[in-house]
Amino acid sequence: MKRLRTFGGLLLALLRELADENAYRRHLAAHGRPHSGEEWRRFSEERLRAKYLRARCC
Amino acid sequence: MPQATSTPAPAASNLKKFLGRLLWAFVAVAAAFCLGAIALNRGEHINSTWLVLAAVCSYALGFRFYGKFIAARVMVLNNQRATPAEQLENGHDFEPTNKWILFGHHFAAIAGPGPLVGPVLAAQFGYLPGTLWIIIGAVVGGAVQDFVILFASMRRDGKSLGQMAREEIGKLGGFVALLTVLLIMIILLAVVALVVVNALAGSPWGTFTIAATMPIAVFMGIYLRYWRPGKVLECSLIGFLLVLAAIFGGQSISQSATWAPVFTLSSLALAFAIIVYGFLASALPVWLLLAPRDYLSTFVKLGVIFLLAVGIVFVRPELALPAFTRFTDGSGPIFAGKIFPFCFITIACGAISGFHALISSGTTPKMIAKEWHAWPVGYGSMLLESFVAVMAMIAACVMNPGVYFAVNSPAGIVGATPAAAVATISSWGFPVGVAEMQSLARSVGEQTLFYRTGGAPSLALGMAHIFARSGGGQALIGFWYHFAIMFEALFILTIIDAGTRVGRFMLQDLLGHVHPALGRTSWMPGVLATSGAVVLAWGYFLYQGVRDPLGGINSLWPLFGIANQLLAAIALCVATTILIKMHRARYIWITGVPLVWLVIVTFTASWQKIFSQFPRIGFLAQADQLEAALRAGTIATGRVASTQTLIFNARLDAAMCGVFLVLVAVILIDSLRVWAGILRGTRARQVVESPFVLSHLAEEV
Repeated sequence: MKRLRTFGGLLLALLRELADENAYRRHLAAHGRPHSGEEWRRFSEERLRAKYLRARCC
Repeated sequence: MPQATSTPAPAASNLKKFLGRLLWAFVAVAAAFCLGAIALNRGEHINSTWLVLAAVCSYALGFRFYGKFIAARVMVLNNQRATPAEQLENGHDFEPTNKWILFGHHFAAIAGPGPLVGPVLAAQFGYLPGTLWIIIGAVVGGAVQDFVILFASMRRDGKSLGQMAREEIGKLGGFVALLTVLLIMIILLAVVALVVVNALAGSPWGTFTIAATMPIAVFMGIYLRYWRPGKVLECSLIGFLLVLAAIFGGQSISQSATWAPVFTLSSLALAFAIIVYGFLASALPVWLLLAPRDYLSTFVKLGVIFLLAVGIVFVRPELALPAFTRFTDGSGPIFAGKIFPFCFITIACGAISGFHALISSGTTPKMIAKEWHAWPVGYGSMLLESFVAVMAMIAACVMNPGVYFAVNSPAGIVGATPAAAVATISSWGFPVGVAEMQSLARSVGEQTLFYRTGGAPSLALGMAHIFARSGGGQALIGFWYHFAIMFEALFILTIIDAGTRVGRFMLQDLLGHVHPALGRTSWMPGVLATSGAVVLAWGYFLYQGVRDPLGGINSLWPLFGIANQLLAAIALCVATTILIKMHRARYIWITGVPLVWLVIVTFTASWQKIFSQFPRIGFLAQADQLEAALRAGTIATGRVASTQTLIFNARLDAAMCGVFLVLVAVILIDSLRVWAGILRGTRARQVVESPFVLSHLAEEV
């Protein structure tokens, strides 16, 4: 049961990583700012700009 | 290696060791037995379980022994050494990440349409050549390339392949790598766009579903930016439910006398729609269309791959295609050419892909917490990608071979009418009937399934077959077919818009040296001009593919395969240089063997594509044949202009192939010069690694 819970936790963490939600949390923690629409937009613009500068795989 | 925290008693330790060895011996025997079974079976249908077991056991052995050998002996990974993620942690790019999360992240980044489409096309040789190449190529080549480049980038603070090529080989190497990537990107975008065009042409159900994903993505973008900022998972779930609703809606559209004609588009109309879409998507703000669709396509991609794996294990379908077909002689209808070298360039991403080197030297090295994590992330992810290719091969081979060839063969080869097509295909020894094809098309809600070249429709048919047998039965086969088409088209379109954007940035980077304003991403005329140039470049190749009487895939996919494998050759040159500089010259066979193989394969394939005397293989022979027909006056007056375009296109493809060949020959010669200098002692062994810094991170992050 514990292993199943650990696996579920890892899966959710992976989904959050792919969704950039973890990166957003790290961004809030690193800058010591609370979540807000403005903050998300600032983070998202910076993140997406860097993301779409890199080549995509075939 | 992670160190043990306590020492077990000697007897228990010996027993554990013995059991471990016994287990691996069993896995080795199982791998040999399964590989033998699939290789030696003739005349009888084989169950897909053999392929799955052969692949899984080979991957386990490759990972445990070969991957670990490279990690321990060649790279000498050291968990005491701080990684860039630890040293440069900034909460953005550099972030120590759990190895399994990073494994999933890296796998999601390397998994594209290549490992799905390539094996489906290569199945024309039978299931065996492609399957063996996928398994062996990944264990000995692809996983090694990804792993070594990831390691090299990690030891250099996350530098890109281009930067490493410049620093390790020379300025020329760096420039050639950048130019090759830009050219490959153009061919890649054209060929994947052609796959979507061929899948959606004349299909109102599929076209409606894909068209609906655009307003859905825009809705998601607005939802995420203004209504529920930061709730990406929640938003993606809503987007997924809307896409499912669009698939169901597509069925009603296809049956509506009013709406079906609106969404029934020709190949040419679809090609222009995708070209316009690519331009808009690369110029629009990313949050509006590109990013929400990218999130959605990533989750759908991972979910479908998981579903397909479960479906294959649950259904255990039999393979209907034989181990070898008559087309091993090079006369294949899908693409011309013999197994060597064409099987090895048709299947690139499932066995070895140069593009992976760009990902392995992109985000991933900046997120590795401990050096030993590079082993599962770099080597392991490629093995999983290879398994996706094996699943695609199975999905292609479960169909009746006659149906497989009827779907994938162009009209120019099998005949322009269904009756002519089935007669030709049946004469090859793969019986199929018009009634069977019509019934199949009706069952999946399509008007016809003939001449659907490109691999996507036949893959969707195979997947629908497996999914329908797993749940829902034949009643849901139409839904599953369009679900699979949606899944393929969704992430191909994401590659098109993201790729166009990346191509635009690369072009701006190059043109910025000529005219600084063109390099500024904030200068709108520059953005529009470079976006337009990139779209026109791949759009032209797409147009060429659509107009090609042989279906376009015959010429474009080999060009893409050659380009991708040549990029892998560049990555392996960089990797070999680094090994030599690290005093690991005695291990250069690790990267040297796949490099030599790729050079032989790609140079042979390129040579044949340019100079072969057979018009279906050689671009120049094709152009000469058409020119001779023009001169002889055997071309109808109305087709003279289009024939002249075909002649130009064939020469353009030959030139493109030649350019790839020259670029890689340049980097290869440059690398050989560097290696010889180092080994002779006339050149300094300057390793450009970051200095050693002691890690303070715990073993498990």
